[in-house]
Amino acid sequence: MAAAEAQANAVCSGMAGAGPAAIGDGTAGPAMAGAGPAAEAEAEASGPEVAEAPPPPLPGLQLLQQGAEALVYRGLFLGRPAVAKLRIPKRYRHPALEERLSRRRTAQEARSLLRCRRAGIPAPVVYFVDYVTNSVYLEDIADSVTVQDHINSVQRSGNDTSSLLVLGEKMGELLAKMHDEDLIHGDLTTSNILMRPPMEKLDLVLIDFGLSFVSGLPEDKGVDLYVLEKAFLSTHPDTEMMFKALLKSYAAASKKSGPVIKKLDEVRLRGRKRSMVG
Amino acid sequence: MDLTHRLELFPDCSVTLLLFNHVKNAAALRKKAMEGSIEGALINPAMIVDPFQILVAANKAVHLHKIGKMKTRTLYAEIIFNLSPNNNISDAFKKFGISDSDEAVLIVVVVDREKTVNLEEIRSQVEGQQVSLDELPQLTDIVKVKKMYKVTPQEEKIGTLVDSIVCRMSTKDVL
Repeated sequence: MAAAEAQANAVCSGMAGAGPAAIGDGTAGPAMAGAGPAAEAEAEASGPEVAEAPPPPLPGLQLLQQGAEALVYRGLFLGRPAVAKLRIPKRYRHPALEERLSRRRTAQEARSLLRCRRAGIPAPVVYFVDYVTNSVYLEDIADSVTVQDHINSVQRSGNDTSSLLVLGEKMGELLAKMHDEDLIHGDLTTSNILMRPPMEKLDLVLIDFGLSFVSGLPEDKGVDLYVLEKAFLSTHPDTEMMFKALLKSYAAASKKSGPVIKKLDEVRLRGRKRSMVG
Repeated sequence: MDLTHRLELFPDCSVTLLLFNHVKNAAALRKKAMEGSIEGALINPAMIVDPFQILVAANKAVHLHKIGKMKTRTLYAEIIFNLSPNNNISDAFKKFGISDSDEAVLIVVVVDREKTVNLEEIRSQVEGQQVSLDELPQLTDIVKVKKMYKVTPQEEKIGTLVDSIVCRMSTKDVL
């Protein structure tokens, strides 16, 4: 029995050892090329998750944030401020599945970003895609603020919140454009929409298309909006009016909005703690 | 005069751009390039909007070269191929490589730590005047570029021309 236990232990450590193989090359690259200002509030936090080893920095880039899906670095790429998204290998997945999923998500992200740009939807430019490490090098939207942070700061400062309604309208217009291109974002939250300075211009940029896909179905678009609604209401209290303004502007701006809003209403009736009585 | 940039992802490699105008021997140069006797990629500057465009193409070429996944046979051919928005190799050479009647030539050289490349040698082979990369915009044919990359009017509102071009270059293999 002791032998069996020892065996089990050996297997476990074996698996832990075979962890993420190639995250960047471990060479001590040149010192950080005077990279972008660590002005982002998140810079302090890059505390690694408990069980994982601290992520090795890619040569010349500094870690900005660690999300659920990927590590985000900031630095210079070919002389331009850039953001590098490196997908984190999930060791609980079967390696073949992991490889395929990672690659597919990376490819989807790149493809969606191109689709956005072609349609005139503001999104970061793709500079380089590395299919070995499943990382993407994107344009760094300088001095941007997430809509999430913006809403929080406006609410905290007690300033006039009518500006938020206008922001909601702008968001609705942007999403209408995206959905009219049959592009589903897949992870719509207020932290995935950036605002370029100056804030009054309401210059919005969509980011994080890792879960995006192409679909013309009102169901998918409705779900996309539902995800945003849920994220909105759970992160930002007292923003019902803002979301209403968003939907109104979405309906006005999108040619195919009728069935989508209808589906949204249907989807709202599903889900947790909802009565399934027809 | 030259523009050199070290690739952040491949610190041993640096890319140098040389621009020549009033070139008289484009035909001979092209022949030499096809034979492989010039250590550089010969590119038609009319199709280049910004050095960044070249750097992106070179970066991708070096990356694929290192993992043995180039689509063409040499690093320099790969750089030219990467400039194209589509996956047709001979079309890339035709549109982005130089032709016999060209009067301006942009030469791209990639220098590795082990190899030493003699820029003087390359310069001496060109019968023309080397000019600064700052003159590149004067040689660019913007209309031709927009047509080649099929840049949409909506796109021009959200970014620069280089942005549109680079996006297409980097995502063409996933399309």
